[in-house]
Amino acid sequence: MLTMVIDDSRAMRLILKRIVAQLGFDVVEAGNGQEAMDYLTANVLDGEGEIPGLALVDWNMPEMNGLEFVTAVRAEPRLRGMTLMMVTTESEQSQIVRALASGAHEYVIKPFTPDAIIDKLALLGLVPNGVAA
Amino acid sequence: MTTNPTEDDLKVIAEQVWSSYLDLDGSSPLVPVPAEKHQADVTASVSVTGAWRGHVLVSCSDAASKNVAAALLGIEFDDVAEEDVADALGELANIIGGNVKSLLPEPSALSLPHVHVEGTQGRYPHVTEVCHLDGTWMDESVTVTVLESTTDLAGASA
Repeated sequence: MLTMVIDDSRAMRLILKRIVAQLGFDVVEAGNGQEAMDYLTANVLDGEGEIPGLALVDWNMPEMNGLEFVTAVRAEPRLRGMTLMMVTTESEQSQIVRALASGAHEYVIKPFTPDAIIDKLALLGLVPNGVAA
Repeated sequence: MTTNPTEDDLKVIAEQVWSSYLDLDGSSPLVPVPAEKHQADVTASVSVTGAWRGHVLVSCSDAASKNVAAALLGIEFDDVAEEDVADALGELANIIGGNVKSLLPEPSALSLPHVHVEGTQGRYPHVTEVCHLDGTWMDESVTVTVLESTTDLAGASA
């Protein structure tokens, strides 16, 4: 599955990339929501590239934050198949509700273990149950 | 009721962060130490605005900052560049700051991280220290500090 890892920290993108890569997912990285939308526009909306099946999305990023990205993706019918998982330090209940109401499917709070990410992916049916160590 | 975070809160947060990213096998945790060992060559900070206003700082020795970057980016210590330190230490401050924010009155917002190599003297005016955690990691100094703003939104001292 093609997966977008969207985070302004290169270190966090690497951590997430390692987790999903071990599941056999292919990864495209973006440093913020705008970069991710630019990729989707060029490769999917205006091109014939594969629609990512999953995006792991940070919240606090420059240019376009994660919530704005989620909202933009949900406004585009051609991207309806993307599963969106917020991976963020934002842990206020109101923020979680806001993200889910905007179209995020799952929410993981940093710091996380690899198993926490994999368990959420299993809940979404993207990996088989019991994959986590 | 929300109260200000304490040193014990910072210990819990640091333990979670270290076990998730910097001490995966449990062999090199952040060890709390007396404040006199404090050394701050590099500082990463995030600001909290809203119902509570202030800053969360992660300060450490130059070697510790390179150890953080090497661990998070999976590179050798000697290959760590300045931008690697900025990225890795900034993310560390973002995660710790976000978890500190969860202990503070809502609603509030977290800034993007800022990393600087000079001392912190004068960089955070009109603040009072809420709590701090001094520690060593791999024999190098790491300190987490929470500063609360003492000015109101108009800039007058509270």
